[in-house]
Amino acid sequence: MPDPYPARVRAKTGYEADVHGQTWPATATTQSSVLASDWLLFTLVGLAVALLVWGLILFAIVRWRRPHGDAGDEYPPQFRDNNALEIAWTVVPLIVVIGLFVYTYRAEADVEAMVPKPDVTIAVNGFRWGWTFAYDGGPTINGAERNPPEMVIPLGETTRIVLTSSDVNHAFWVPDFLFKRDAIPGRTSSFDLRPSKLGTFLGHCAEFCGLDHALMNFSVRVVPPDAYARWRRGASS
Amino acid sequence: MSAAAAPVAAPPRNDLLGWITSTDHKRIGILYLTTSLGYFFIAGALALVIRTQLAHPNATVVSAHAYAQLFTLHGTAMIFLFVAPFALGLANFLIPLQIGAPDMAFPRLNALSYWLFLFGGLVIFAGAATNEGAAATGWTAYAPLSAIKVSTGLGQDMWIIGVFLVSVATILTSINFITTVFIYRAPGMTMWRIPIFTWEMVATSLLVFMAFPALAADLLLLFVDRHLGGHAFDPAHGGNAILWQHLFWFFGHPEVYVMILPYFGVISEIIPVFSRKPIFGYTGLVISAFAIAGLSMGVWAHHMFTTGAVNNPFFSFVSFLIAVPTGVKFFNWIATMWRGSISFQTPMLFSIGFLMNFLLGGITGVMVASPPIDFQAQDSYFVVAHMHYVLGGGSLFAIFAALFFWWPKMFGVKLYEGLGTWCFWLLFVGFNVTFFPMHLLGLEGMPRRVFTYADQGQLPALNMIATLGSYVMLAGVLVFAWNVVASTLKREPVGADPWRANSLEWWTTSPPPEHNFDTLPAIRSERPVFDAHHPDVAARTPR
Repeated sequence: MPDPYPARVRAKTGYEADVHGQTWPATATTQSSVLASDWLLFTLVGLAVALLVWGLILFAIVRWRRPHGDAGDEYPPQFRDNNALEIAWTVVPLIVVIGLFVYTYRAEADVEAMVPKPDVTIAVNGFRWGWTFAYDGGPTINGAERNPPEMVIPLGETTRIVLTSSDVNHAFWVPDFLFKRDAIPGRTSSFDLRPSKLGTFLGHCAEFCGLDHALMNFSVRVVPPDAYARWRRGASS
Repeated sequence: MSAAAAPVAAPPRNDLLGWITSTDHKRIGILYLTTSLGYFFIAGALALVIRTQLAHPNATVVSAHAYAQLFTLHGTAMIFLFVAPFALGLANFLIPLQIGAPDMAFPRLNALSYWLFLFGGLVIFAGAATNEGAAATGWTAYAPLSAIKVSTGLGQDMWIIGVFLVSVATILTSINFITTVFIYRAPGMTMWRIPIFTWEMVATSLLVFMAFPALAADLLLLFVDRHLGGHAFDPAHGGNAILWQHLFWFFGHPEVYVMILPYFGVISEIIPVFSRKPIFGYTGLVISAFAIAGLSMGVWAHHMFTTGAVNNPFFSFVSFLIAVPTGVKFFNWIATMWRGSISFQTPMLFSIGFLMNFLLGGITGVMVASPPIDFQAQDSYFVVAHMHYVLGGGSLFAIFAALFFWWPKMFGVKLYEGLGTWCFWLLFVGFNVTFFPMHLLGLEGMPRRVFTYADQGQLPALNMIATLGSYVMLAGVLVFAWNVVASTLKREPVGADPWRANSLEWWTTSPPPEHNFDTLPAIRSERPVFDAHHPDVAARTPR
């Protein structure tokens, strides 16, 4: 059977083949740099909270464990509330989540911002189980489930994806871009990508769409603008 | 004066007919618990097949179609037939006992709920015997994937009917719980003396009452679309494919709290007993339960951040807010242990395991509530890890805590502590080895619900680790089963109150008589049994 996955490492292209796994979180587009900073902030805050609370739990069960052979007939102090503490551990987390929300709100606005006039526009259609990439005023690339299509886009320029589906729900996901969007029948949904790294990136359908969902893959190849222009002329003819 | 003989009820029949015809809340509770555990064993076995298929890339243990049925039935059974109904069973057994009542408000309705639940589950599984197999669209059954054009099989219809029956059963039970708690409390059992578990079940029942009708409506619409020419979810005829998701998650997110609030209650009952202290922050625990329940009604579209069709910031903010009352609960549990006298019997081990695991699930929950993070994590193994830390590391560990804690009350014998400790460590280690690597799989770009994956990067190694962990969990469950068999055969009876516990169920015999109580102690706090057995300690406890 043909390999359902696009090759991620292409010989003799000279491009940086695949940044994923070398840096975390991946930052292969301008948008994903914003997304990556949100990941880092939440991971660090989350780790700090986790270490604090795990620490408190472990400290309590070690410090106040009942010794072996002690039947526990001596009862410890029977306190049951402390208003100042309870207000503190309500208000402090509230302030933390409001801060996180403000950050996350701005990050999302940056990622979803769309330029007035994109350099490249591609209509992407998901179907069971493949993808069609139709370049505005250019070629149309057709894929199938065991023949994953490749999208070629220029480095440093803005590509607009206009996404829909012709049967059931799918989702367009390139893990190195830290981004996905659902492809839903009867709706179109648009977003911009501005690649900041050369290379070939693996993409998946992320929304379960039936039998061969796992084989509904594609790849995105980011090339310099002049190489993109050459490719586009060649693909159109 | 001729002394008329006091009317004596015939003792309950202890044979099969006695159990089938029973309206006793304790028997219905035990039927619920054993049935849901049965579904758990099946759903767990399906998960092991899933993990075996994923141990290597491009494996052929099962076909793509079989794999889709496996994860559909696994998710459906764990959510609709195990984690939620187990709580209903536990509450059935405990609520009347905890509030000092002889039975539920509507015993026959209660029996009806159980039988609807049992047969609803059987109908879902029976789909596997049809020509095109069981439902294969995931437990979320997104339209239009579940439309008749795409999912032609009878299995999908049986899934719709089965889940509908279970949702009706759950709604009826929630009405029963609310009525029982508000009407049937014993004298002295004021609202602010109700045990935390029962409070959490009141909040849970309100959630069920608000959320499950949306599920029932969604299922009916889908059925009408499939067989009666409806087009609710069909965009080609003016329908809306996103409507399914709105209705489903309007139920589905409150459902998450239906599957966790009862277990917050379980933990709140167990930690004080094994810390030799009263629960800390009783009022805060009750208020936070209702805060979580209320907020959870306004977060459904955080499952839809990547649709581009909802107001992401609103749903993100409300989701973040849920961290606040959940944090209140965590700090209250830690403060309950603080300066206590902590012993590590099996119920306490599982409760501590719950705290450790659920914390991570809660933190990744705040992460995926941030849309920029969710754009990557949604439908990836990161979300699979998050969700299993909440429902597996959280609810499942609380379920084992509850089984070990209330087993002596239900059956009059204790489960063995030594085997219990083994069971805990196998499940704790196995759980974390299985599910922690899934966070990394998600970051590596592995989508969920795939029967195979690329032989690239860390994917094969991480998947193999997860699969090995799942077999360790199997060993833990087998040790539990052996514990049940061995302790039942040995039959060492326990008294009414083997743990020196707090609430009224520990006042009556183990197991309780059909009418529950011959006498009741004075109820002056949320731990009346403790007050009666330890008056000196009660005297120095602040009210």
